[in-house]
Amino acid sequence: MELGKTTTIRMLLGILKKDSGEISWNGKIVKRKNVNFGYLPEERGVYPKVKVIEQLIYFAQLKGMNKQDATKAISEWAKVLKIEEYLEMTAEKLSKGNQQKVQFLTAILHDPELIVLDEPFSGLDPVNTEIIKNIIIDLVSKGKYIIMSAHQMATIEEFCSEILILNRGKTVLKGNLKDIKNSYPANRVHIEANQDIKKYIDKFNLSIENVVDNNYTINISNEEQAHKLLEELVKSSIIIDKFEIKKPTLNDIFIEKVGETK
Amino acid sequence: MKDLKIVIDFTIKDMIKRKSFIISTLIILILIVIGFNVPNIINAIKGEEGTNEKLLIVDESNIFEGTLENIKTLNLGYDIEISNEKFTFDDIKNKIENEEIETAILIEPKEEKIEIKYIVENINMMQEVPEQIVNAINSVYSNLQISKLGLTQEQLQNITPNFDFKLEQTEEQQASGNILAIMLLSIVLFYAIYFCAYQVSSSITTEKTSKIMETLVTSTSPRTIVLGKTIGIGIVGLLQMILLVATALICAKLFLDEEILNSVLDMSNITPYLGIITVIYFILGYFAYALLYALTGSTVSKPEDIQSANGPVAILAVIGFYLSYFTMMNPTSELNVFASMFPISSPFCMPFRIIMGLASTTDVIISIAILLVTIFVIAKVAIKIYSNAILNYGSKISFKDMVRIYKDKNN
Repeated sequence: MELGKTTTIRMLLGILKKDSGEISWNGKIVKRKNVNFGYLPEERGVYPKVKVIEQLIYFAQLKGMNKQDATKAISEWAKVLKIEEYLEMTAEKLSKGNQQKVQFLTAILHDPELIVLDEPFSGLDPVNTEIIKNIIIDLVSKGKYIIMSAHQMATIEEFCSEILILNRGKTVLKGNLKDIKNSYPANRVHIEANQDIKKYIDKFNLSIENVVDNNYTINISNEEQAHKLLEELVKSSIIIDKFEIKKPTLNDIFIEKVGETK
Repeated sequence: MKDLKIVIDFTIKDMIKRKSFIISTLIILILIVIGFNVPNIINAIKGEEGTNEKLLIVDESNIFEGTLENIKTLNLGYDIEISNEKFTFDDIKNKIENEEIETAILIEPKEEKIEIKYIVENINMMQEVPEQIVNAINSVYSNLQISKLGLTQEQLQNITPNFDFKLEQTEEQQASGNILAIMLLSIVLFYAIYFCAYQVSSSITTEKTSKIMETLVTSTSPRTIVLGKTIGIGIVGLLQMILLVATALICAKLFLDEEILNSVLDMSNITPYLGIITVIYFILGYFAYALLYALTGSTVSKPEDIQSANGPVAILAVIGFYLSYFTMMNPTSELNVFASMFPISSPFCMPFRIIMGLASTTDVIISIAILLVTIFVIAKVAIKIYSNAILNYGSKISFKDMVRIYKDKNN
C-alpha cells in the first residue's frame, strides 16, 4: 500500500530530499556523519557474486569498524542468526530468507545507536521471524532505539510502544500504543456455545461478524450489549464455554483510520 | 579518504575474483602465446629442414641454355631443382601427390611463343603466378639474349636501369618510426580503455539491480562510491593491460625470429618514454570514459536497459577512435592535430603523435590539460546524476530528466 512508510524512512536517513523541515536525533540533524545508524531497506539486496563474509566486512568497514572487530562480531552474530555455514558462500547461493538475515546483520553489525528497519519480517518464514524478533527484543532491552515500519499490525503490537500511522504521507494517528487502544471502546464479543444462538443475537439486533461451529464473533457498540446478551443466554439455560469482550486490535484501528481518509 | 580506500579494495577484490575476468584474461594470455608461436608452429608442420617450398623447373627443350641455374642464386625463398628431362602433366601431378615437390614450372615452346606453366596443387582464390618468379625468369631470359648480342660491359650497364626512387614531402614536420607498431598501440589502448570503462557501468547497474544500492548510499557518500569504483576497476584494468603487453613482449623476444620481428615491428620504438606516455593516456582516457559510463550506468535499473543507455558513450568512443585512427594515415594534417587535442580522441591519438616525433611538449601539456578539465566536468555531472538517480527503480532516465536533475538547485 502506498502509505508513505518507505518514503518517510528514506527522508529520515537523508536518502531522499525533503521539501521542507528538519529531522534531528538527539539534537543532531540525521545524516550519515552525525548519527551512527543501521538501516535495513525495504528493497532486499546483497552482492550476488560476493562471499557473505566479505560483503559483511565491507559494510562494517564503511561504517567505521576495523576488519578484526568486524570479523569477530560477524562470527558472534552468525551464530545467533544461524547463518554460520553460509559465511563462506557467495550470496546468490543463499535462500531469500538467509539473504534477508545477512542484510539484517549489515544493519546491526556495527552496533548503531539508532536502528531503522523497513518491513523486517516481510517474506520470512516463522522460524526466521522468531530469530529476528528475539534479536529486536534483545536490542530494545539494551536501550537501542528502533524505528520500524510494518503493515502487519500484530507485529507492531508485539514490539512497539510508540506508533505513527500514515496514509499517503499524512499522519492519521500517532501516540502511545496502549493509550490509543484504551481510548477505543470494546467493539466485539466472542461467544462459544454448545448450540445455535442466532435467534438470541437477532433479538438484540446485533450483527454477526463471523461464525464457525457455534463459535460467534458479534459486533457490539458498547459492553452493555454484550452483558445483556449473556444474561439472556444464561436465562435460556444455554451452556457457554467462552465469553470474551474484545477491544479493537491495532489492525481494526488501522483499517478504520486509513479507510476513513480514503 | 578511508572510505575511498575501502571501496577501491572491495572493487579490486570483486573484479579479480570473478570467474569471467580470470577466464578472459587467461584466454587472451594463451592467445598471445599461441599467436607469437604461429611461425614456429607452421615450421614444425612443414618439417625441420624444408622450410622453403620445393619448386621444380623443367626446361625440356633447353630454351634457357642452362642459364636457369642462375635463379638458384637469387634467393627467392624456394628450394629449386632444374631439370631438362621430359615431364608430362601427370608426372608432375604424381610428384606433387608424393610430396616430392610442392610446385613446378614447365617451360615449352608453343608456336612463336614460349609457354610457361606454373603448376600448384590447388589454385587459391585470387592466386597468380608469384611476381618474383615471373621477374626472375624474365631477367634470366633477357640476360641470356643480351649476352648473345655481344655487348660490352659498359653497354650492358647502360641498358640495365639503375634508378633510385625516393618519397619526399613539402611539410617540415615529418613522421618517423614504424607506423604499424603505433597503430597497434592505438588499437590496444582503445580496447583497454573501452572495456575497462564499460565495467564501471555494469558494476553500477549490478548494484542497482541487486538492490544493494540503498544499503550502500547509507554507508558512504555517492562520490566515494563512484570514484572508488572507477579507480578500483581502473587499477585492475591497468594491471591487466601491463600483464598482457609484458607477455606479448616476452613472447616476441622468446619465440619470434629476430629478423621477422624487426621486419614487422621496430623494437627500438618501444621505449620507457612510450610506456609512461601510454600509461598516462590510458589512465586519463579511462577516467573520461569510465565516468561517462558511471553516468549512464546510474540512469538504468534493469539489465536489459544497459545497452541502450550506454549507446551514446559507445558512439562517442568509436568516433574518437576512428577520428584518431584515420587521421594517422596523414599524421601531419590539421585533423590529426585536432584529434590529439579533442578529449574523446586524444587518448588514442596523442601517444601516436609523440612517438612519431610530431608533438611538442606544449602540445602534450595542452592535450593533457584539456583532458583533465573534461574529466573534472564529467566527474562533477556524473556524481550529481548518480546521487539523484540511484534510487530510481523505474524505467530509464531520459536525457531531459538528467538535465532537470542537474539543474535542480535543491540537490
